[in-house]
Amino acid sequence: MSIIKLNNRAVKDATAVGSITGLGNLVFISRSTASSSSSVSITSGIDSTYKEYIFMFNNIHPATDGTHFDFQATTNGSDFNIATTTTTFEAYNHETSGVTALTYDPNKDHAQDTGYINLIDNIGSDNDQSFSGFLHLFEPSSSVFVKHFLFTGQRITSNDYSANDRTAGYFNTTSAITGLSFKFESGNIDAGTIDMYGVK
Amino acid sequence: MPRYKMVNGERIQFTAAEETARDAEEATWESGAFDRAMADLRQRRNALLAATDFNALSDVTMSADMTTYRQNLRDLTNGLSTVADINAVVYPTKPE
Repeated sequence: MSIIKLNNRAVKDATAVGSITGLGNLVFISRSTASSSSSVSITSGIDSTYKEYIFMFNNIHPATDGTHFDFQATTNGSDFNIATTTTTFEAYNHETSGVTALTYDPNKDHAQDTGYINLIDNIGSDNDQSFSGFLHLFEPSSSVFVKHFLFTGQRITSNDYSANDRTAGYFNTTSAITGLSFKFESGNIDAGTIDMYGVK
Repeated sequence: MPRYKMVNGERIQFTAAEETARDAEEATWESGAFDRAMADLRQRRNALLAATDFNALSDVTMSADMTTYRQNLRDLTNGLSTVADINAVVYPTKPE
């Protein structure tokens, strides 16, 4: 048996700490790489295996300056048109002008909208501009509950603001969500990756 | 130039119907450019006004500089007719 001695808050002489199990982990499922793509869809790997899925957006770069990034879900693998209700708010700070605020604009919300849903808007298309963020989708295979999601994104806007956006809502269906589709409201997704993880 | 979509990592060319639908989306986006830019400008202007609203309380005396600043914010949208006009707007400097 190892001897563990506490001495001034430090652990000394520990030769083994045993193992910890059952804490869960993040399981990488797939990576989608956009390359002048009108849309990126993921219709494989979203099922009842995990109760939560996380989508990591890494430097998503638009071809069109100032465009908005949207998404929708499907229950049949092809029709992305689930009634969706969301709300969103943002904090922003301009590079040089000192214009800064925390704002909520109800015009950016969606109520039972079956079209593509805005996650983050006005993303600059300069070579060094993009957005990054992550989206949590909770229990997409539930037959009881609507499907909640939370998005947090960081972008540089076309007019040089740093903006942190929070969008949350639910797909108003008790059918299993089996896929998501992402696209800009105008122009291609010039570049970027979307990694999908399952939370075990 | 044909459009492509990524589906589960596979690059797939748009169908004719998808091209037509996307063309319509692009036209809608283009026609709304001025309104989007104005909405963005108003949102930022309104946030700046709200940040100084307390100066208009009955027990606060608003300075002449603050009065001018807030009027300049209100006038920010005057005479704007193009997206370029909006992008060229310079916000007034908030008085100390």
